[in-house]
Amino acid sequence: MDNKMLLHAGILLAGTFISAVSQVLLKKEAMKEHKSVLEEYLNIRVILAYGLFVATTLLSVLAYRGIPLSLGPVLEASSYIYVTAFGVTIFKEKLNAKKIAALLLILAGITVYALLG
Amino acid sequence: MTTGSEKENKKGKTLLVYIFLHLVLMLYSLGGVFSKLAAGEAFLSLRFCLFYGGLILLLMVYAFVWQQVIKHLPLTTAFANKAVVVVWGIVWGFLIFREHITAGKVCGAALVICGVVLYAVSGDKEKASDGQ
Repeated sequence: MDNKMLLHAGILLAGTFISAVSQVLLKKEAMKEHKSVLEEYLNIRVILAYGLFVATTLLSVLAYRGIPLSLGPVLEASSYIYVTAFGVTIFKEKLNAKKIAALLLILAGITVYALLG
Repeated sequence: MTTGSEKENKKGKTLLVYIFLHLVLMLYSLGGVFSKLAAGEAFLSLRFCLFYGGLILLLMVYAFVWQQVIKHLPLTTAFANKAVVVVWGIVWGFLIFREHITAGKVCGAALVICGVVLYAVSGDKEKASDGQ
């Protein structure tokens, strides 16, 4: 993997991270009580989450200027790592051995793909 | 007690849901193709806007159909099947963008797929029945 590809892979990883942040915002808002359907959607968190979502699509386009298409879904699998980290720290979800093993497999897969692919 | 034809009916319905699930996952994977096509165009040119618009449209259709599919399947099953997107990435890359398939790529992708499937089935039993 050369420097150009590394930079673009980093952009896609950043986009995937931002996408996970937007999921957290949506989940936080979904846990709240709302007086109306309009209020469910027209609030700062949901609007910000969808804004971030659009930003991630633009980041993915930028990233694909320097990485092959096949690398995209592999890098996007890193979302499981971010979502788990947010789940544990923000929503106090429990982590089990299977989940840790799964995340290690995903990390190993991304590393193997990047180094040997 | 369920009769034979009721069982057949249920089997047929489940098969249909799986077909829909995999169609929508294939559709989702095409989002990457649109991203990559837009990446090859000048920012905000007509072709860029067409490909980027295609990406947004695909994601909207995906979000809508996904919501429907997970009503009829356990969430864990749906998420485990999502790993197939990695395979589609390799297939579209090879067919549309003439990317090479190497042993390293296949090994890396296989590890990621195993990880995603294991993650999906790692939840507790109550979660496994979500959406059923």
